[in-house]
Amino acid sequence: MLSKSAARSFFLVGTLVCVAFFIGLTVDTLGRVPAQTRAQNLTDSVKLGKKLWEKNNCMGCHTLLGEGAYYAPELTRVYERRGPQFMRALLKDPQAMYPGERKMVKYNFTDAEIDQLIAFFQWIGEMDLNGFPPKPHLVQLAVTATSTGGGVAQASDRPFVFNQMCVACHTMGGQGGLVGPTLDGVGKRLTADYIAAWLRDPAAVKPGTRMPRLPLTDKDITELTAFLSQQK
Amino acid sequence: MRFQSQKVAYYFFATCMLLLSLQIVYGFIMAFAHMGYDVLHNVIPFNTARTTHTNLLVVWLLTGFMGAAYYIIPEESGRELYSVPLAYLQLGALVIVGVVAIIGFHFNYWEGRKFLEIPRPLDYLVVVDVLLFLLNIGMTIWQGKRHSTTSLVLFFGLLMAALLYLPGMIDTDNQTLDSYWRWWVVHLWVEGVWELIMGAILSFLLIKLTGIDREIIEKWLYVIVGFTFLSGVLGTGHHYYYIGTPKYWLLVGGVFSALEPVAFLGMAIYAITMARKGGRTHPNQNALSWTVGCSVMSFVGAGFLGFAHTLPQVNLYTHGTLITAMHGHMAFWGAYAMLVLGIIAYAMPLLTGRKLHDTTTATFAFWTSNIGMIAMTLAFAVAGISQVVLERRVGLDFLTVQKELQVHFFGLTLAATLFTVGIAAYIVNFIRYGLPVGEVTPEQPGSDS
Ligand code: HEC
Ligand code: HEC
Ligand code: HEM
Ligand code: HEM
Ligand SMILES: [Fe+2]
Repeated sequence: MLSKSAARSFFLVGTLVCVAFFIGLTVDTLGRVPAQTRAQNLTDSVKLGKKLWEKNNCMGCHTLLGEGAYYAPELTRVYERRGPQFMRALLKDPQAMYPGERKMVKYNFTDAEIDQLIAFFQWIGEMDLNGFPPKPHLVQLAVTATSTGGGVAQASDRPFVFNQMCVACHTMGGQGGLVGPTLDGVGKRLTADYIAAWLRDPAAVKPGTRMPRLPLTDKDITELTAFLSQQK
Repeated sequence: MRFQSQKVAYYFFATCMLLLSLQIVYGFIMAFAHMGYDVLHNVIPFNTARTTHTNLLVVWLLTGFMGAAYYIIPEESGRELYSVPLAYLQLGALVIVGVVAIIGFHFNYWEGRKFLEIPRPLDYLVVVDVLLFLLNIGMTIWQGKRHSTTSLVLFFGLLMAALLYLPGMIDTDNQTLDSYWRWWVVHLWVEGVWELIMGAILSFLLIKLTGIDREIIEKWLYVIVGFTFLSGVLGTGHHYYYIGTPKYWLLVGGVFSALEPVAFLGMAIYAITMARKGGRTHPNQNALSWTVGCSVMSFVGAGFLGFAHTLPQVNLYTHGTLITAMHGHMAFWGAYAMLVLGIIAYAMPLLTGRKLHDTTTATFAFWTSNIGMIAMTLAFAVAGISQVVLERRVGLDFLTVQKELQVHFFGLTLAATLFTVGIAAYIVNFIRYGLPVGEVTPEQPGSDS
């Protein structure tokens, strides 16, 4: 039968061996993390963005690298998913971008601070995360070959801004957000002129609408109008 | 109770009851926000509610461990506590730090790293406070008549918990390293040194409640904590799969964390066997229920539900979803909340001299809170599985999926209400015990109860 002193030795030796291995692996990991996380791109702006991220405890609602709270969207690939214009508008006023949805705190960030947060998300988005976040499997949508997966499948036949901004609130082919009406068949309902005017300033077309005026260039609007008019 | 100074434990336990009640209030705020009723958003946004909820949890558990140590160590060492005023001072300081931190959370004053949100200046105060506590306990053991294995394991666990708080203060600009060190605290606490504390407190309770020979119980204590460290230390790797650390962690973390349930299974078998074998029936059967219940529920919450998402192939999809919240609730409840409630259930009749342990309220509290928590875990599980399928497999938008989950949070609220009724009964019983005016009964040679 096992004696008490043998049990004690088992505990002490087992613990020491495992701790030694763990410390060895930690040293190795510390050496490799800079390359894997593209630490050469850690500019001052990114560092300040990280400080803002921590100071405001964004992790108390969101997850980043899959860590945090489960109340608001996972942000690891948000730069790729939404793009800088959308994020800038959202960080200025979350309510404008997601009217009537689950609420985010409205912060009074300066433009410089918003740039820092965006730089931080851009840096996070470039890390090699061993395959996280996973690509959705059960959808039959064509997924852009270059996309590293952002939770939402991105169809390649659409304008880039559409995949970044419009799907936050609109669905097409069953994918996207539910804030606005689906854009399936929108070309049947609306004329190209109406769509272009709408995108330039929704409130001018329909006062009091919940669709915000988005930061779109003329080129974006032409592209989007052409694309949407074809949706019949 | 053998020594007058053990009575300080009462005030630690009373603090636990207070903080636990407050924790539950913040839990409901979050459950309502998830259902779509974030009515308190402007006053208590979700991140404030969450941070308060989890920090209150950690603080009440630590307070409970301290109270347990102040009760157990004098008895195990055969002498009065080194210093009673120091114990009161240390409790007071802890409460002040806690209150300041929680007020700070409501004014955007925090560190923004999950579970380690307490702002830096207060971190230092926590360290000083814990050092005072360790000094008090350590001196008592040092000058004691006996150096029992139980008290040494308890002391070592508490000391390591204090030391492992330090990596959480390492400053880095790299988010990956930030989370690397954060897990040294969070994981190595709950799946490492806190298990020593758990093993030691369970051993003490089993020695007292079953009357089985100390040598046998303490031998198995070594075996179990041996398994804990064999699997748990390298098992930290299960948090290093997808945060920007090398790929070998998928293998190391996967293999070792998959072994972690063995330690919890061992704990459950050990407690059940000892309780069965126990030669005499101790009058406090309620404390025995909590003791055995703790070992069983920790196996379910930590061992079984931990294993369910610990393999890298599964974790890729469940990482950072409500599945983690499901596991977090049951594991913390089974392993640590039930442990603290168990030692309180054991100590209260002795501290106060009133025999309220086998009242209907006490039995009701045990069953209702446990059934409530199992139901809460199921609600989180259904929500979590739906989230994984819809968001990670089908690829629906986050907020679209959250709308689908609101109904499960209604289920969670119902379950949490049941749980809260159970906890309320526990607290009512606690209050009925009154103040610690119990008699000190000197030790009889050869007896260990
Ligand atoms: C109270 C909870 C809460 C806090 C705190 C919070 N957010 Fe949000 N955030 C949300 C919610 C909910 C959404 C999605 C809907 C919305 O914006 O209303 C969101 C959306 C976002 C998005 C867009 C994501 C997407 O996929 O469209 C970004 C980017 C973002 N938040 C960044 C931040 C940053 C940076 C911070 C900290 C400075 C922060 N959030 C703090 C709740 C929160
Ligand atoms: C913040 C959420 C949001 C975003 C982002 C958004 N929309 Fe909208 N959109 C809405 C809402 C809400 C409506 C409904 C407005 C109303 O009827 O008052 C709408 C209506 C529309 C309509 C009219 C649809 C109809 O059937 O009448 C079009 C076209 C449209 N959006 C296109 C776009 C395009 C293109 C983008 C991307 C550049 C975009 N939207 C981005 C919220 C949004
Ligand atoms: C009593 C012991 C335990 C407690 C209190 C506990 C608690 C928790 C908590 C609170 C989290 C979330 C942490 C965070 O995101 O910051 C977590 C995550 C996790 N736990 Fe445990 N746990 C315990 C034991 C275990 C065991 C034994 C296993 C494995 C067999 C396990 C596997 C995991 C995994 C894989 C995660 C990461 C989830 C994710 O990727 O989001 N846990 N645990
Ligand atoms: C009775 C009422 C309770 C309710 C309604 C409740 C609800 C919640 C909710 C909604 C979350 C946040 C999940 C998210 O990020 O979206 C949460 C987090 C958490 N709660 Fe509770 N809770 C309750 C009690 C408890 C108890 C008793 C414990 C411990 C024993 C506990 C431990 C935790 C932990 C550890 C987390 C963090 C989980 C993680 O990060 O994965 N809760 N709770
Ligand atoms: Fe862990």
